Amino acid sequence: MSPITLILIAMGLGLAGWLTGRAKAWSFQSSDPALRSASRPVYHAWYVALWVVIPVLAFITIWSVLAPQLVTQSVLASPAAAQLPAFGFERDAFIGEARAVAQGTAPAVFNVEAEALVAPFREAIGRYKIIGIIVTVLIALTCGGLAFLRLRPDFRARTRVERTVMMILLLASLVAILTTLGIFGSLVFETFRFFSFVSPVDFLFGTFWGPDTMVSPEATDPSRYGAVPLFWGTIFIGAIIAMIVAIPLGLMSAIYLTQYAHPRVRSWVKPLLEILAGVPTVVYGYFAALTLAPMIRDAAIAIGITSASTESALAAGIVMGVMIIPFVSSMADDSMAAVPGAMRDGSLAMGATKSETIRKVLFPAALPGIVAGIMLAVSRAIGETMIVVMAASPAANLTANPLEPMSTVTVQIVKLLTGEQSTDHPATLSAFALGFVLFMVTLALNFIALRVVKRFREAYE
Amino acid sequence: MTDESAKIRARDVSVFYGDVKAIDAVSIDISPNYVTAFIGPSGCGKSTFLRCFNRMNDTISTAKVTGLIELDGEDIHADRMDVVQLRARVGMVFQKPNPFPKSIYENIAYGPKIHGFAEKKADLDVVVERSLTRAGLWDEVKDRLDDSGTALSGGQQQRLCIARAIAVDPEVILMDEPASALDPIATAKIEELIDELSGRYAIVIVTHSMQQAARVSQRTAFFHLGKMVEYGPTSEIFTNPIEERTKDYITGRYG
Repeated sequence: MSPITLILIAMGLGLAGWLTGRAKAWSFQSSDPALRSASRPVYHAWYVALWVVIPVLAFITIWSVLAPQLVTQSVLASPAAAQLPAFGFERDAFIGEARAVAQGTAPAVFNVEAEALVAPFREAIGRYKIIGIIVTVLIALTCGGLAFLRLRPDFRARTRVERTVMMILLLASLVAILTTLGIFGSLVFETFRFFSFVSPVDFLFGTFWGPDTMVSPEATDPSRYGAVPLFWGTIFIGAIIAMIVAIPLGLMSAIYLTQYAHPRVRSWVKPLLEILAGVPTVVYGYFAALTLAPMIRDAAIAIGITSASTESALAAGIVMGVMIIPFVSSMADDSMAAVPGAMRDGSLAMGATKSETIRKVLFPAALPGIVAGIMLAVSRAIGETMIVVMAASPAANLTANPLEPMSTVTVQIVKLLTGEQSTDHPATLSAFALGFVLFMVTLALNFIALRVVKRFREAYE
Repeated sequence: MTDESAKIRARDVSVFYGDVKAIDAVSIDISPNYVTAFIGPSGCGKSTFLRCFNRMNDTISTAKVTGLIELDGEDIHADRMDVVQLRARVGMVFQKPNPFPKSIYENIAYGPKIHGFAEKKADLDVVVERSLTRAGLWDEVKDRLDDSGTALSGGQQQRLCIARAIAVDPEVILMDEPASALDPIATAKIEELIDELSGRYAIVIVTHSMQQAARVSQRTAFFHLGKMVEYGPTSEIFTNPIEERTKDYITGRYG
């Protein structure tokens, strides 16, 4: 409630600044070229408006964090707070209840003891609201006023506004980077907490995965946190089975599309292929779990393999491979298209056939880009979650038989972090360690792939 | 002019890009013993016409070629004519050097390998040395045959491309403005090379530099707006052209 009022006030003041700035700037308009204003009035207007809005928004941000604490402090200083329990759960509950009633988000107090605090809360909230509004207006007037005074015909409002726009854009891109760093930081923190229970050596090299999520003596048993079966399952499904499907199909479709397809065919087939990349992975998951997996099991049983499971690694891997085809094919497509046409003409003019040209000239020249595309595809496949959650098994087996159930890192993370869990239980923390490993591996794959692509691009320019 | 011993004989050749006529009913006889130059202003269709002789226009889906082109009396558009064989007999050097991103050795060995002329390493070595020597590049690169062809200078790259074309022992070499991307010194080397190669191969060179045509060719054809205006001995074309348009172009009145 309160921040919204403040933001509306900020907008209103900004508009006022905009209008006064423009009004002043209009008076600079002159027919004499020597006295002509350096910037159009609209830039003067924006200059004042930005000087109003940005400091006010900065204040509101800080204030929305600070105000509730100031309110609580002033309430606790009031005589009504003296009767509160000194510490603990009840004290917090009473304060919270009284605040909710005072703000109007709860109809009435549940505990009678909290009743006495409602009035002080209401009074304090009202007081700080007024303080907030006054400070907002003061900041707006001071900053806006100073900006207004700087407006002159020769003032370069245009370049100032330009610089501000640049800063705002920079801020927007920083948000993404800082978020990534934040994610990384929290992963590292939780991972270290996990490693205080289980040593990294047991985690990275142990071959039995079976975390006990209950509170029991086994919960901290390091021998239950051997992640090798998960790493193996992830690699087997995402990097082996999926790639056996995706690499040949993706490359061949890219070769067909870039080298053989008539432009009209290409204009139809390429978007259709790219639709594959837009299909929600849940839909692939259905297909893997409900259609392909039973088919594979039936086929396996028909040829006498009775141990075949409906949660086979094969079904998940094949569907994941299909999902990855557009990634491989579009990267291969791009890098083959990036090979200069002169190279192809040179080979054809030597009397090479089309397929010889592709095999001996185009493909080797495009190879770095293709390899990079495959690495990006692998990093996507091993991080893919939904298909394996639906089609792969929760049981972590260490086996090379694709018909056996197998689990992946992502499946285990989902399993460990859904439902009820305690945040300091080793089983829960192990999910962060798994996530950390996954993050590092995909990061490394992406990094290497980008380096390879970059070097390859330079080769032709 | 009709030449009984013509290597290439073209009759009423027209080329269309979609609905646009790029070459209009050109007839010409290319002699095996001379360097023939095609000159004319940009966009006059001289490169398009050159690309008819090894059917490189086939690689452009919108291009259509009509008329008769014979190589040693054989129709190059006949069903019996294998385009792959044709291109082995009629080599081509492009405007911009386009060595493959492979080693110098592999660049030369590419043609002999795909055509099966030389399979064994020893045979390939001979072909590579002979081709590079004829292209005047052997002394410069003999110690670094394993380096990438793209690491050479522009002029060396173009001579590598000429060596690559020579390696499959063609009868005709088509050169599409082979020196236009090179500096004057590299250009002089290419021109010298063309001189040395003439006689052994029938050479057709497209150039927009009249001085170059005058220096390297014995026969010159002048193209303008898709038509061949005049064709004759280079000395005649440059000193005593018959057509008014040729004279205007030679004297620099347009182009």
